[in-house]
Amino acid sequence: METGEKVMSGEESLRIISDMINKTRVNIRQGIFHLLFWGWLTFFCALSVYLLSRFTGMERPWMIWFLTVPGIFVSFLYGYIKGKKSNVQTYADKVYMWVWIAFIFTAVVLFVLKSENMESFTPYILMLVGMPTFLSGIITRFNPLVAGGIAFWVFAIASHFAGSGTDMLIASAAVLSGYLIPGYMLKIKIDHDSL
Amino acid sequence: MTRFKELDPVLHSQLRLALMSLLMNVESADFTYIRDQTGATAGNLSVQITKLKEAGYIDVVKKFSKNFPQTICKITPAGREKFIEYVSALQDYLNPE
Repeated sequence: METGEKVMSGEESLRIISDMINKTRVNIRQGIFHLLFWGWLTFFCALSVYLLSRFTGMERPWMIWFLTVPGIFVSFLYGYIKGKKSNVQTYADKVYMWVWIAFIFTAVVLFVLKSENMESFTPYILMLVGMPTFLSGIITRFNPLVAGGIAFWVFAIASHFAGSGTDMLIASAAVLSGYLIPGYMLKIKIDHDSL
Repeated sequence: MTRFKELDPVLHSQLRLALMSLLMNVESADFTYIRDQTGATAGNLSVQITKLKEAGYIDVVKKFSKNFPQTICKITPAGREKFIEYVSALQDYLNPE
């Protein structure tokens, strides 16, 4: 870019402003890790709970969900390290991060409120996770993630009517369509765009 | 005859406008990122950052990251206001009633 003192036309000023705005779009690369990490972790938990409760006599198979607690630390650590390395933080990056932190707080409160009756927990958590997924899709302008959020809401209703016998199977399908499929689509898109 | 508002001379220069447009859309950005995005030389960018800082349009924080100096720039509320006024004046200039 030329020195700061060159005289510009109005059109040139507008072009500079618009160029710079385009360069500061939200960074969605970090989102891939979280989507795939949480996708596989929750898919494993949900499917394991379903298989253990259906085919074994295990008393509290839902305890497998406690694997998500170290998962939260892994996510925070990854975000912290990447954030330190990044030389820019956009407003959208910040909103994206806080949407998910707010989700974690809400999920913990929900867990406390529903701890007496964990059998009917699945529709509520699926409904809840639909919101940050949907909003992440809007913030990053990535429609498969918007569709993923909607899928979580649809599966929340389905699991309510399916009852506690198959709710974990439905949760696995919800994670597959809400996290894993959009996560891999995002990976393909970014790999393709960076060619 | 339509009377145009004068375009802010602090903003009406290529590199300072690019820098402010960039900072309008981010929480903060470091020197290397701004240099890469604007394509400016380090010396020129440094001069323009100082001018914007002296005008009170941006805040500049210098710190060390892994033993390397790092310069972080952030737009101030006054800078944000001046940028909005500049864009408004530019719109009047390009689309006179």
